[in-house]
Amino acid sequence: MSGSVSLLELGDILFRPRRVFARLAAAEPDPTRVFFGLTLWLVLLPPIFVFIGTHRFGWLLGVEPIVLPDPIIAIVSIGYFVLLAFGFVTTALVSAWMANTYGAASSFGTHFALVSVVGAPLAVGSIVHLYPHAFINVLVLVPILIWVIYLLYRGLPVMLGTGPERGMLMASALVAYLLVAWVSLIGITAALWRFGLGPVMGI
Amino acid sequence: MASQAAMQTYDDGIVRAFTIASVFWAVVGMAAGVYVAAELVWPTIDFGLPGLTFGRLRTVHTNLVLFGFGVSALIGTSFYSVQRTSHVRLFLPKLAWFIFFAWQAAIVLGVASLMAGWNGGKEYAELEWPFDIAIAVAWVSYALVFFGTIAKRRVNPIYISNWFYGALIIVIAMLHIVNSLAIPVTLDKSYSLYAGAQDAIVQWWYGHNAVGFLLTGGFLGMLYYFLPKQSGRPIWSYRLSIVAFWAFVYSYIWAGPHHLHYNAIPEWVQSLGMVMSLVLLAPSWATLINGVMTVSRAPEKLKTDPGLKFIVLSLAFYGLATFEGPMMAIRSVNVMSHFTEWTIGHVHSGALGWNALITFGTFYFLVPRLAGRPLHSEAWARVHFWLALAGTMLYVISMWGAGLTQGLLWLALDDFGEVRYGFLDVMAALNPYYLLRFVAGLVFLAGAVLMAANFWMTFRAARAARAWPREAVAETAA
Repeated sequence: MSGSVSLLELGDILFRPRRVFARLAAAEPDPTRVFFGLTLWLVLLPPIFVFIGTHRFGWLLGVEPIVLPDPIIAIVSIGYFVLLAFGFVTTALVSAWMANTYGAASSFGTHFALVSVVGAPLAVGSIVHLYPHAFINVLVLVPILIWVIYLLYRGLPVMLGTGPERGMLMASALVAYLLVAWVSLIGITAALWRFGLGPVMGI
Repeated sequence: MASQAAMQTYDDGIVRAFTIASVFWAVVGMAAGVYVAAELVWPTIDFGLPGLTFGRLRTVHTNLVLFGFGVSALIGTSFYSVQRTSHVRLFLPKLAWFIFFAWQAAIVLGVASLMAGWNGGKEYAELEWPFDIAIAVAWVSYALVFFGTIAKRRVNPIYISNWFYGALIIVIAMLHIVNSLAIPVTLDKSYSLYAGAQDAIVQWWYGHNAVGFLLTGGFLGMLYYFLPKQSGRPIWSYRLSIVAFWAFVYSYIWAGPHHLHYNAIPEWVQSLGMVMSLVLLAPSWATLINGVMTVSRAPEKLKTDPGLKFIVLSLAFYGLATFEGPMMAIRSVNVMSHFTEWTIGHVHSGALGWNALITFGTFYFLVPRLAGRPLHSEAWARVHFWLALAGTMLYVISMWGAGLTQGLLWLALDDFGEVRYGFLDVMAALNPYYLLRFVAGLVFLAGAVLMAANFWMTFRAARAARAWPREAVAETAA
């Protein structure tokens, strides 16, 4: 048990993250167990919430709802899942790739567990997708995002066994990567809408 | 004492003047930005005064932060670094002071003219022809001082920061003079020498390269000098910095037409702008890697230098902005983002996250050295860091949300194939995002005010320390 982390520990992950960081730092988590025990369930949550919320309310942008047919909602949700899973795995890979530069632990499982634990509040917070009002989603997810960044800065040195200064540098490099990944997600989404996977637009 | 010695060796009085001016304009310019952000939420707070209307005050904000805060910081830091990398004092120091007073006068009078309604109608080049001439004179004087100092240098190689500052000076002179060519009709009105689509192409050749060579190239000059100084390590790869410089200079100049996607300019020109924007990613990220690797070798400096954190974070936003720009130049993405608040968010991820943060980090390094005293409060600097990060994130995310909403609503059609939502519908939908952006601006401004207060106290302590021996002597004599 100590060599991995699972959804059963969600309470600790959300409310006592330092305890989880310290425990995982002492272990060398197996990436497969982390994926099936925690990550998979986390990345499933936002697409499921999106599907339910969009099906029930449509997209709420401050005017009348934009209603999407169910097949399109399903494609959007599956695409969301694929991109999130890709994002979690690549972030862990990038983190492991950077480890040597910052004198951090290089075990891929540890990096994967770090990314999963740090990203957990965002995945849980995506419950707000059940009511897909764009501004309310922004309002709820922004503070959670700031908390997640704080967790990354705090948790990374502990879990990867590097000093606080090197940890700060590595966390900043990861923030840079995450910002780019995030804006890529927005750009890819906009381009997919342009090609018909999403709302009907007059282009 | 070391600082006093340095100030006798080098002309640092002018650096101090530009630094103080830059901090002052940062606070005033950002306050103007917060005010115009508030006007989008509460439109009646212009009180019916023409000078306070959104249209006039927005240009006041952009001119103050770009030319007041940004350019003052660039001129000041370039004067600081060119002396030290050339091992000589400034060439024509009195001309340097002329530049200072001319530039500050141009800012003050220029802002007054914008509030009075004088406006050439070109983005980032709104000032009318008398100011264009004054700016050209001041800028050519800047070139004389900077390149004159390099010409009399005592070390043979020209350090990489000077290449970037040099490119800034040459290219901005070229852009400003060509784009500002106009036929004056009265003191406050002129008409561009170019017509129609040509005018648009010239304007965005100017506009994009002002962003490129001023907000990117100039600040990279700052990065290449101050990052190694603050981290106490040489640049990770000097060779990479040279390659990045030439690739940057070559590719940036072609990217302007991406501002004119889906407009009345030839499609091949748009495609060229898009492709060159994508090419631009390579030199931009070469510098990013160089910066990240340089600072990663000096983690211990984070304990002692409150400014280094700002520079580390500025690199993250530099990475974001230089990726987001080329991505938004892709026409399939641009069709959603063009003319929306997403563009404003992109500009501010660069302006707040990159330009402002690296300048703040540099000033936290410079001010104690210019004052000859330690910084008044490192704790205030730490608070400023978190305010700056929170303000930037909140700003960028609110504008991403607003931009996507705006793009979707603009492109929505009704059952008859007509535009579904009118102007008021869209503005009403954006109102909450505008409120969030206003809060973000306030948070960022609060950090800047805290920094200004910190510097004020630092300089005041320095003045008191200098005055003390004289008072002691006087008391002893009495």
